[in-house]
Amino acid sequence: MFVDLVQNTLDGVMLGSAYALLALGFTLIFGVLRRANLSYGPAIMLGAYAATWVHLQFHAGFLALAAVTIVGAMLAGAYVERLCFAPHGRRSTSGDAAAVASMVGSFALWMQLEEIATLWLPKHLYSFPPLYDGPPLALGPFTLRVEYLAMLICAIAACFGLHRLLAQTRFGLAVRAIVDQADAARLAGINVPRVFMLVFALASALGGLAGYLIVAAHEQVTPMLGMWSTLKGIIAMMLGGLGSLPGAVVGALALGLIEAHSQWLLGPQYRDLIAYLVLFALLALRPAGLWAMLRRATGPTAA
Amino acid sequence: MDEYVLGVLTNIGLFSFLALSAYLLLVTGELSFGQQAFFGVGAYAAGIGTAMWGLPLPVAMLLAMALGAVAAWLVGLPTLRLRGLYFAMATLAAAEMFRILFELFHYQRTVDGELVGPDGTQGFRGIRWVLEHGIEQEAFLALVWTLLLLILAAFAWLERSRLGAMVRMVGEDPELAGVLGVNVARVKLAVAAAAGALAGLGGALYAHHNTYVEPRNFDIMLGVHSLAYALIGGLGTALGPLLGVALDIGLLESTRVFQGYRMIVFGGLVAIFLLFRPRGLLDEATVAGIARALARRGAG
Repeated sequence: MFVDLVQNTLDGVMLGSAYALLALGFTLIFGVLRRANLSYGPAIMLGAYAATWVHLQFHAGFLALAAVTIVGAMLAGAYVERLCFAPHGRRSTSGDAAAVASMVGSFALWMQLEEIATLWLPKHLYSFPPLYDGPPLALGPFTLRVEYLAMLICAIAACFGLHRLLAQTRFGLAVRAIVDQADAARLAGINVPRVFMLVFALASALGGLAGYLIVAAHEQVTPMLGMWSTLKGIIAMMLGGLGSLPGAVVGALALGLIEAHSQWLLGPQYRDLIAYLVLFALLALRPAGLWAMLRRATGPTAA
Repeated sequence: MDEYVLGVLTNIGLFSFLALSAYLLLVTGELSFGQQAFFGVGAYAAGIGTAMWGLPLPVAMLLAMALGAVAAWLVGLPTLRLRGLYFAMATLAAAEMFRILFELFHYQRTVDGELVGPDGTQGFRGIRWVLEHGIEQEAFLALVWTLLLLILAAFAWLERSRLGAMVRMVGEDPELAGVLGVNVARVKLAVAAAAGALAGLGGALYAHHNTYVEPRNFDIMLGVHSLAYALIGGLGTALGPLLGVALDIGLLESTRVFQGYRMIVFGGLVAIFLLFRPRGLLDEATVAGIARALARRGAG
């Protein structure tokens, strides 16, 4: 029993690191642009499909496949940004309506990207080469899959990297200025549309990396990947607290732990039911999210 | 009438109920990803009513509306103070819970020597009241569109009434509405319940048109589509959502020109279209302009 509990917790953390990578990109876009990009997952899916195609045609190595996934996700992301986010950004007068138009537009492109991917590779399932072929690591009675360990390391590195980028560079200063006061930032000479574009590109690259690590861990690609990535990313972001990077990681780990434990206790249908129930209850009772609750519980410390 | 055309017209009518349900919430300023849940509640409730309990269809439709309204009220109670993405995600979580509950829902009994009723992920077969009562497809189409026209008439009345002005005010500026003495929370809850009843009625008709429903019918895609229909059609008039449905189902799904590429065409059209009309085809300004033009012609 105790061994299972620990193993499930380990599995939950590992699953959570995949969600964290997805949630970080989502949060970056929402935190800066104040808009939800529903096409985030489908763009990742298109990248993964491109990598699958390259794998089928050329049997390329893992670095090439990772690069193709990232570039593919960035190209699809750029298309979404140009068509759904950049044009609506100019209407600064009607903020809410523009945000809704961006979100609905990104949903429309979701349909498009998904259909392009499935027309390109029409089978229901393609196998994808694993990142690492050996057996899982054994830690006494517990096991740990190397792919998920790589995800955890990447998630932690991405979180620290993003923090440094935002806190210590001129680009980060521009981003923070826009988040605080977009109009004032514009008056101070910051090229707001360009910063938005770069943030979008960065988030898409992160999403591509997440997508590669996830399909390499699952060793398969299916048309469900797009919706799955958008949903898990957005749920983790909302659980942690909208627009906060450490919140995204906390929310992702919480989602992973909830899923791992409830799956073991009650099975996959109840796993999803409980995950949605927790999200619903948290939004109804504490919409600021888990990270804000943690910070309040540990007292007023500097961020 | 050609059977194919009949099917398309019926489908446009059926999904218009759901699009109108999403529209009603949009007018109060709330973006719901979860109206498909109440469509599903209505479908299951009405199916159980006619196929298992032997109720006549009109009674089953009333039951579906009542349960749809209660379910929407229960979801709205803890969530309607949320705004924007928070509300959208809360309704999405609720709708997915409903879908999973449909998957876990087993309730069957033998009727006329045949086992009927919801059977989890296997779905719910044999909702045959319409067939058994010899109702032709044309008659069913007429029923769907008569109900829809009645609802549109109710919307038209609402837009001109004090209540309608209150609902629009809550959507545009809830703080101001509150200061002016509108009970914002109560208006929102009432609108959410009405939207639930509307979706429930649509679900009841949908179940009896298809004779078979399964939990997968009521997934997120249906919810986001109905929201998109309302937004493409426009937020100025209740005809907007119908226009949105007609564009997608009538123009793209049915004209087989785009077969296989429908989503690429529809998705691209919507995204480009939103650049020019971010509040939809029939937005408030357009509707007001048309109304003025009609009034001038009437006067002259």
